[in-house]
Amino acid sequence: MNVLWYFLSPLIALLAGLLFLGLARKIMARIHWRYGPPVTQPLIDIIRLFSQRSASHGALFDLGLVLSLAGSLVITLFLPLGNIAPMSGSGGMLVILYMMLLGPLGMALSGGASANPNASIGVSRKLMLAMGYELPLLLVLLAVMTRFDTISIVSIVQQQRAGAWSIASFPLVVSGIAYLMVLPAILGLRPFEVAGAAQEISSGPQVELGGPYLALATMQHGLSMYIGASLFVNLALGGAANPFVFLVKVLVVLALCLFVNASFPRFRVEQAIGYLWRWPTLLALAGLVLTVVTGR
Amino acid sequence: MDRNQLIKWLKEPAKMGHKYSLHAVYFCTGCGIIEVPPSITARWDAERFGVTPAASPRQANLFLITGYVSLKTLKAIIRTYEQMPEPKYTVGFGSCPINGGMYWDSYNTIKHLDRYIPVDGWIAGCMPRPEAIFVAVTHLWTLIDKDMADGYRRYRRNYAAYRANQEMVLGELGWPPLFGGEGE
Amino acid sequence: MTLEMVLLAGFGGALLTWLLGKVSARLRNGLAVLLALGMFVAVCLMHGQSFQRLLPLGFMGLRLSVRMNMLSWLFAVLILGTGLLSVIFSLRYMRGRSRLDYYYFTLLLINAAMLGTVVAGDLLTFFICWELVSWSTVLLISLKGTGRAISAGLKYMVMALAGSLAMLVAILSLHARFDTLTIPRLAELLGAAPLGYVLFVTVLMSAGFLVINALWPFHGWLPDAHAEAFSPFSSVLSGVLVRKGLYGLYLLVYVLLGTGLLQRLAWGALSYLNVMAWIGAITVVFAAFRALVQDDSKRILAWSTVGQGGYMVLASSLATELGVAGGVFHFLNYCLLSALLFFVAGAVEHRTGGTRDLNALGGLMRRMPVAFTGAMAGVMGVIGVPLTNGFVSKWIIYKSLLSEGRPFLAFAAFLGTWGTILYGYKFLHNIFLGRLPDRFAEVRRVPFTMALPILVLTALVLVFGVLPGIPLSAVSAAGVSMGFGSLGLSVWGITTDTGTLNVVNLLAAIVAGVFAVWALWRGLGRSVRVDQDDSYAAGMAVPRQRYNFTADFYGPLRRIIGPWAGDAADALLVGLARRTALVSDAFRKLYTGYVGSYVLYILLFLAALIFVQITWSPWL
Repeated sequence: MNVLWYFLSPLIALLAGLLFLGLARKIMARIHWRYGPPVTQPLIDIIRLFSQRSASHGALFDLGLVLSLAGSLVITLFLPLGNIAPMSGSGGMLVILYMMLLGPLGMALSGGASANPNASIGVSRKLMLAMGYELPLLLVLLAVMTRFDTISIVSIVQQQRAGAWSIASFPLVVSGIAYLMVLPAILGLRPFEVAGAAQEISSGPQVELGGPYLALATMQHGLSMYIGASLFVNLALGGAANPFVFLVKVLVVLALCLFVNASFPRFRVEQAIGYLWRWPTLLALAGLVLTVVTGR
Repeated sequence: MDRNQLIKWLKEPAKMGHKYSLHAVYFCTGCGIIEVPPSITARWDAERFGVTPAASPRQANLFLITGYVSLKTLKAIIRTYEQMPEPKYTVGFGSCPINGGMYWDSYNTIKHLDRYIPVDGWIAGCMPRPEAIFVAVTHLWTLIDKDMADGYRRYRRNYAAYRANQEMVLGELGWPPLFGGEGE
Repeated sequence: MTLEMVLLAGFGGALLTWLLGKVSARLRNGLAVLLALGMFVAVCLMHGQSFQRLLPLGFMGLRLSVRMNMLSWLFAVLILGTGLLSVIFSLRYMRGRSRLDYYYFTLLLINAAMLGTVVAGDLLTFFICWELVSWSTVLLISLKGTGRAISAGLKYMVMALAGSLAMLVAILSLHARFDTLTIPRLAELLGAAPLGYVLFVTVLMSAGFLVINALWPFHGWLPDAHAEAFSPFSSVLSGVLVRKGLYGLYLLVYVLLGTGLLQRLAWGALSYLNVMAWIGAITVVFAAFRALVQDDSKRILAWSTVGQGGYMVLASSLATELGVAGGVFHFLNYCLLSALLFFVAGAVEHRTGGTRDLNALGGLMRRMPVAFTGAMAGVMGVIGVPLTNGFVSKWIIYKSLLSEGRPFLAFAAFLGTWGTILYGYKFLHNIFLGRLPDRFAEVRRVPFTMALPILVLTALVLVFGVLPGIPLSAVSAAGVSMGFGSLGLSVWGITTDTGTLNVVNLLAAIVAGVFAVWALWRGLGRSVRVDQDDSYAAGMAVPRQRYNFTADFYGPLRRIIGPWAGDAADALLVGLARRTALVSDAFRKLYTGYVGSYVLYILLFLAALIFVQITWSPWL
């Protein structure tokens, strides 16, 4: 049974990501007072894309995408899915942080190899935005790790389940609010949708992706949504006792971010960084200072 | 989803995928594009049929030529069409791409789009209403079902002729031929 | 072969190379490679030895001495290894330039003198070798002879001189007080010395080490020096030469002072180690932000060298076995990585006719696959992507910072890593990715003697990333020789009290993941290879000259951080130097060349003396 989860948890994450992409389109449609596509639309798109014959820009172009999706799939082995975390024992949060690099990095390499400036602009925007949200995010993660005095994410979840959710306990509530404020940026949703801006830079790193490549990229997109939200659920909302409750929590968090997505226009990069480095960072810094001062 | 649909999905997933996931190139050639925003937004909601605008030709499989085609635009149309991955479908929208329409004797618009790229279907009218786009989409579904939306195969087969026509009006094109020699 | 013979061969061989160069260039090159190889192999074979010996050589009544333990061995092997690869790389890179005899002589001299620095058994030998390195470095930086090269060399010379003078004062005072400069003896004596004196010596010597290690606020010389030095020498400079400051720090802090004394060098929260840690942290963040606005391939790497040096000092200042292991291991890894990246930058420079401007290059991946492979491995390693060696050392550094309960320092380290991602990608993208400009369409591949060092280092980066136990065993032994406990190691990773890292898990997971996705993609999807010009350009043909996005790659970010990331420390030091020059120039005007003026000065001086005597009568 234990071995089975090595295969099941990436699969569940992949399906949850695709389901979320479908739900996102549906929810956005309903907010626009439209009927919207079926929830299975991303799946239909992927089937269609796999049947198309696309243009390849060389080995790195292919490998970057493969690495990106593979990295995103592997990371789900490290993130607890409810009570299940097949590989959480090796390296803890530090490894998770680094493994989370593989997805965007693979995408960036593939985008760079596509010899299209739109892709380069998209990657540069993505990296700058990441610099923007990593500042508060790292402060939040450090506050959480200091508070629970561990780098193991499983232990963080267990301690929250024994006590209170960290977003509902005193010093960490400040960090939790900061985390919530940067979550749309981490997920790349609308006020921060600078990297994949369809109208300005032809969807950035994905500009040259067609057919099977776009299918891989779509899956990666869904997965990265899932990963961003599930990290939040694990660190701030106390994880869950079983995968089902966990997925429900993830979907609630994502839906919350979708409402933000539906109601704001897009920032420019400067505006995005200006926002991220101001209030969320101050709050996160206050959270870390409070955590250090109040101690365990 | 009824039973026939399900059987079709199992038998020919690729065809069904293409039917219900038509991503249109974000490209406006002329005045006809004015009908597209209402059809993809809240009023007519093309997304419920799976029709959405795609950001670059690489991601698309549907090309709507919306309105008159000037020579300059024709060049971009050809380039964009060639960059779309196969299978791909083209629909001419409005009377101008069909026969020149009111630009019949203009010095720098072309009159018959299908001499330069293959066209799978036409929407006649000046302007056609957004509903006409949906009618066209359902017609396109039928064509895809019956394997009759074969413009990309015609393009491959008759590439030399198409290229000759293109070069006749545009002179030297800035890129090498898509298929070597006579096509496949 | 004994250590003394290796040193003798090093110094003598350098001279011989110079002489041989007058006869035949081919012989000279052969001797240079053989010498570097021989020294490397000889020192490698000394693994595990530990001794302290007097040399039959004296200076001002003091006998020079050498000493060897695992810490020295580790530094020595890396120094000689980098030196060897650098000489091999030079063969082709330097071909056709002038003053080559002189170049090889200086390079080999630096090689030998650096070896002398890390195996010195007393502070006098240490200082002599240290100065030899510094002076030869000045000569090598200014070798191009252009105005900028000379001014970069001067900048280095002034800063290094200030640092080594501080060190000299400390060494002389140690000698005056204890009448010995032998390292083990001093370590015993310093334990009993008053705390104020220990602090005085420590601060003076640390200043010298910080300058060479290019830590904030003494980093200013390094970017200029790198921009002007030849690329093979940049590898030595960045990988090992600046790290002799790190070796000096280890020598001072953990060998001479020892952890017991260090605990006492503290006044509340303000302790020596805390100050060092914060200097390291500031360097990490500052250098990362400076690096991502650079537009010169070697300047980016130079700032990266500054930043990674910050990591080493930051981790080493924790004075725990894990922290020091992280510092030493990061030194080892970054030595490989920076040598690799400078070789890559040099190869690109060599093949594109001296282009280092990141806004002019692009798409070279298609023409220089070997250099690209090296750049990928190097950049991934510096970022610390899993399965490269940089990952393991950064993991250890973060782990030690977190388990010591230093979240703010850890924050600086994390932030620096994000900066690294940004400038690393910029380096990779602007040189190798994107569209290949037409004028580089015929660029040739990297020649063999330049490809060899790149490939060797790439292989080492990956092997050490997958089997971190191999280098870590040496690192752990070096830690033991500094008085720390040994680490819990396996071939695949490291075990600590509060968490383990096992790279084989990551390897298996990533390989399985990549294979699964690759199978999915190959099994279901089809694609055709297209030319780089068959790219989306809004329906138009791709412009022939350039179709790249490289200029001002992080423009919006630069506009935000620009006002804050000015190099104030460097500007202050440079300004100080300018003022000093102005004041000295003003004094120079006293020398008018007329006898009358000098007589006037004497008269004025006498008048002043008489005035003082009459008014206050202090003398009689």
